[in-house]
Amino acid sequence: MKEENYLLSELKKSNEVAFTMLFRSYYTDLVQFAGHILYDKNRCEDIVQNIFLKIWSERETLSIETSLKSFLLKSVQNACLDEIRHQQVIRTHESYSESVFEIDEMIDTENYVLFSDLNEHVNLAISKLPATYREAFELNRFRGLKYREIAEKLQVSERTVEVRIGKALNLLRMYLKEYLISILVLFLLKILLK
Amino acid sequence: MNTEEQIEIIIAKYLSKKSNTKEKEILFAWLNVSEENKKHFLHIQNIWHVSNPAFKSEDIDTDKAYTRILRNMNNQKSNVPKKESKMLVWWQKVAAILLIPILAFTIYQNTKGLLPHELTAYQEITSPLGMKSEVTLPDGSIVWLNSGSKLKYPLQFNSKKREVYLSGEAYFEVQSDKSHPFIVSTQNLSVVATGTIFNVEAYYNDTISAVTLLEGKVGLDLNKNVSKNLLPNQRFIYNTKTNKAFIEKTDANSWCKWKDGILAFRNEPLEDVFKRIGRNYNVDILIKDKKVAKQMYRATFEGESLDEILHLLKLSAPIKYKRIAREQLENYKFKKEIIEVYSSK
Repeated sequence: MKEENYLLSELKKSNEVAFTMLFRSYYTDLVQFAGHILYDKNRCEDIVQNIFLKIWSERETLSIETSLKSFLLKSVQNACLDEIRHQQVIRTHESYSESVFEIDEMIDTENYVLFSDLNEHVNLAISKLPATYREAFELNRFRGLKYREIAEKLQVSERTVEVRIGKALNLLRMYLKEYLISILVLFLLKILLK
Repeated sequence: MNTEEQIEIIIAKYLSKKSNTKEKEILFAWLNVSEENKKHFLHIQNIWHVSNPAFKSEDIDTDKAYTRILRNMNNQKSNVPKKESKMLVWWQKVAAILLIPILAFTIYQNTKGLLPHELTAYQEITSPLGMKSEVTLPDGSIVWLNSGSKLKYPLQFNSKKREVYLSGEAYFEVQSDKSHPFIVSTQNLSVVATGTIFNVEAYYNDTISAVTLLEGKVGLDLNKNVSKNLLPNQRFIYNTKTNKAFIEKTDANSWCKWKDGILAFRNEPLEDVFKRIGRNYNVDILIKDKKVAKQMYRATFEGESLDEILHLLKLSAPIKYKRIAREQLENYKFKKEIIEVYSSK
């Protein structure tokens, strides 16, 4: 947060490097965020770029009460919804009239987790795994090797591989506890709707 | 199944657009019960969206987007029609050629606000601990960044020199260009090169900074006071604590093996060996017995896991070690794994 305040005060002084850093740190996350409202990538990118252009041209009078993340998310959301209303794009999900629109407009911008945040958490969790567990886990989940193949490669028994991966998963579940509810529900649904 | 699980299934169905009218009614009713319910739903929706990104990451080109808005920003700034500003620039050049420096300077001062502003945007690449990265710079030079290193370079090199900033260790293969010296600035020293291959060790707050030259010639600037030149297969070592520097003959290649994933140690004290291993694998290795620290060691490791390396070290050096389980602090933060090394004698 402190770094962001510093960047914002530098932005006010027309510091382009500060602007660049802000742009680069939020760009992809905001485009992805817009993607769940408007499905056209080019339009999403245009919208996010225009918001940054506006931030630059109004940099001297810019005042952000909440947080930069909140401000950016709200700006993107408003711009996307404007676009929808303007274009009268037909929503692909069934409408339940007002209520649906309301839910979709609700975002907890203060606590919103961006894609890079989640990615970072997941990568951090994996990097915290003890080397042998991580190795077995990565070989299985990222390289797609079977337990038998991993056992051969690492010169250990299949049982050891099983144990290591099990331990890795347990640790990851613990590290990612906070995000797990949603992930669990995701998996649960995949099973239910087979 | 209790209500909590029930509602979560309905939420999941809603988010994947598979819920029927009845389920939606239940969901909306539940949402209206409390702010807490709303927040819970929003959080799940958040994670749901974020774990199912709308676009593939590769399809979003931040660089291209940045270039695009740069152009727009430039257009915003210049109020002078393009023709006029071109003339001024030309006049500046003419004045300079005619050796009228004062005039040129005055013109420059007056036109600073009107000429399209030159943006120097920097790119920063970080190679996290335990990983290495390779970067190609705007002039075609290639840089390999070692574990825990950071390189900052401009998106466009300026007209006089090519300057980059390094914190950590990097191997450079610099494109030849005598008219634009390539400068690597680090915490304690600067390396000036034109076309050449060299390795720089400049980890922040490390006692030793070093530059090893493989090909070509480089000049070294130490805190703007001392200036030295290096020849191939020479290694310049600067001790930041004693402020002493010296040049030694060496096999330059051995200092660059890290970029090929090879950890080579040639008669180095174990404390340095463990420091490098720690960096490479992102663990903290603490030597508990002083006499172990000073023992000289020689070995080459290529692609072994940390376990294997520790095991090999135990066999070939008079040490034993203890791995301490990771400590979890609040909020999902973890301390790095710690390995304690003791003398086995």
